[in-house]
Amino acid sequence: MNAQTLTTPATATVAPRQRMRTFIDRFAMPIIFVVLCVVLAFSSEYFLTARNLMDILRQTSINGILAIGMTYVILTKGIDLSVGSILAFAGICSGLIAAQGHGLLAALSAGLLAGAVLGAVNGFVVARLSVPPFVATLGMLSVARGLTYIVNDGSPVADLPDAYLSLGDGKLGPLSMPIVIFAAVALLFWMVLKYTTYGRYVYAVGGNEKSARTSGIGVRKVIFSVYVVSGLLAGLAGMVLSARTTSALPQAGLSYELDAIAAVVIGGTSLSGGTGSLVGTLFGALLIGVINNGLNLLGVSSYYQQVAKGLIIVLAVLLDVSRKKQR
Amino acid sequence: MKLRKLLVCMLAASTLMAGAVEAKTYKIGAAVYGLKGQFMQAWVKSIKEHPAVKDGTVQITVFDGNYDANTQNNQIETMITQHYDAIIFVPIDTKASVGAVRHAMAEDIPVVASNTKVASDKVVYVGNDDVEGGRLQAAALAKQIGGKGNVVIIQGPIGQSAQIDREKGELEVLAKNPGIKIIEKKTANWDRAQALSLTEDWLNAHPKQIAGIVSQNDDMALGALQALKSHGVSPKDVPITSIDGMPDAIKAAQAGEITTFLQDAQAQSQGALDVTLAKLIGDSYKPRSVIWQRYGNQVKWADGKAASYILPWVPVTPQNADALYKQVTGG
Repeated sequence: MNAQTLTTPATATVAPRQRMRTFIDRFAMPIIFVVLCVVLAFSSEYFLTARNLMDILRQTSINGILAIGMTYVILTKGIDLSVGSILAFAGICSGLIAAQGHGLLAALSAGLLAGAVLGAVNGFVVARLSVPPFVATLGMLSVARGLTYIVNDGSPVADLPDAYLSLGDGKLGPLSMPIVIFAAVALLFWMVLKYTTYGRYVYAVGGNEKSARTSGIGVRKVIFSVYVVSGLLAGLAGMVLSARTTSALPQAGLSYELDAIAAVVIGGTSLSGGTGSLVGTLFGALLIGVINNGLNLLGVSSYYQQVAKGLIIVLAVLLDVSRKKQR
Repeated sequence: MKLRKLLVCMLAASTLMAGAVEAKTYKIGAAVYGLKGQFMQAWVKSIKEHPAVKDGTVQITVFDGNYDANTQNNQIETMITQHYDAIIFVPIDTKASVGAVRHAMAEDIPVVASNTKVASDKVVYVGNDDVEGGRLQAAALAKQIGGKGNVVIIQGPIGQSAQIDREKGELEVLAKNPGIKIIEKKTANWDRAQALSLTEDWLNAHPKQIAGIVSQNDDMALGALQALKSHGVSPKDVPITSIDGMPDAIKAAQAGEITTFLQDAQAQSQGALDVTLAKLIGDSYKPRSVIWQRYGNQVKWADGKAASYILPWVPVTPQNADALYKQVTGG
């Protein structure tokens, strides 16, 4: 599948130095993650409590769900800047349906549909009209935010029914609902990517579009589909978010696309498409969650949190670059 | 091995210290909606200057909500997990995060709202009434333009509680003046630069037709003032009214360029901390912030048991501007 490996001349012996480098490349992020956790465990008595670990998972769930869709998009060499706005739009749409008493199923469908439709528009503009993904979704970032204000005249939707709110504070056994939803989505989309033909197509399109096309893959269809996936998941995240904040807010999700992209990049998925994994993304999302949570536990100012997050993003891309140089 | 010893020592020391301090220190978290604007920065600065924080009775930790309801939710959860003694909450939205607040109260962690209300009758509120603020600034503008003419409104971020409430008050008063017509209404997101461009565009679209400008905060009012000046319009001819009482705006009010009403950041934050301490310590607690003397006539302490403490909006005038400027900047 990967054309680049075929052209690389085979080396008979791998120098120890290079082996070391490969090791660092592969495990740098997990190592940073573990070190961070150990440091936090020593610095705060609360870090390793079951409750705090649940908090981290719950706090990661929204960004995690967005990052899953984002992984699909980035694997095809695309980007989706509109997820934060789509999240808000879907949240308001489903919130309105729920507040009018149409029941949870109708509200859920409305939110998912709203997300998928806007995602499909992204997909159409990118795949059919060949507008660069950055531009197409930058446009949608603005359009979807505007629609969000239009739909409910700029007001939040409060008075959400209890059934809807249970998406945010309900529980399944010991796990709270956002975690359950996050886990289910992660598992489903991981399996799709790993075990289905469609999943292999996603990699192939990002790896080398031309050879993907010559081998008979419907490149445009695949590209279209990943934006639908991203929009759909943004819609889902929007509903979980509204439930967590007990009202659907028109200004929800501002700049969430940045954290989602960061999670994907930290997780080792290349912005130039074709390589990466969903498991890496989940790690990336968790790492961001742990940084935010940990620095909160330690009472570190949010100003430093932003610095830390930024440094880790750049470090992740540095690793990606050095990986490429080796080839 | 050395490292391990060091770690053990550090751990032991920190537990000892924690044990010694815990006996008399209250751990209170302040979750504010965002720290990019001047007002909240002033709020945070003054809560750290409260006598109880300075003498170590209270250890205050500030959480920056980054203008995001979900982030604030997460922070309240973190505080519950860490067994904070109490939470002072400045929500981005009145109704968002009611769930998280409920969780905190279920764990017997008192929550006091400051600056922006929490939509729950169990949460005490210390702050100004934004609807009243909107009424005051609109009434001032109506008076200045003689109750007639075209008015434009520069809005805060649409959907945010402060924007909704201030506008409610503004519209209520403006509607009582049949001679006044609102010809434009748009958001500049509390931002000076955005308000500058917006006002310039309006001045171009309605040359010599705008009689007055209502701005929902000071930063935007100062942007509008810049626009007037760059278009050669005197603020005497097109008055601007706003609310907040930021240092720059007090200066502008002193020069007669805008009209503004001060909401006292120190009173909001220190007042909230006093009310919180009364909840933790009980009836014996006497409030220690200077603000209870400052507003003694308008706001009664009531043993810290009132359901809300509504602070007055102070009109900034050329006479009191110097004193207010000193009070606001702490200098």
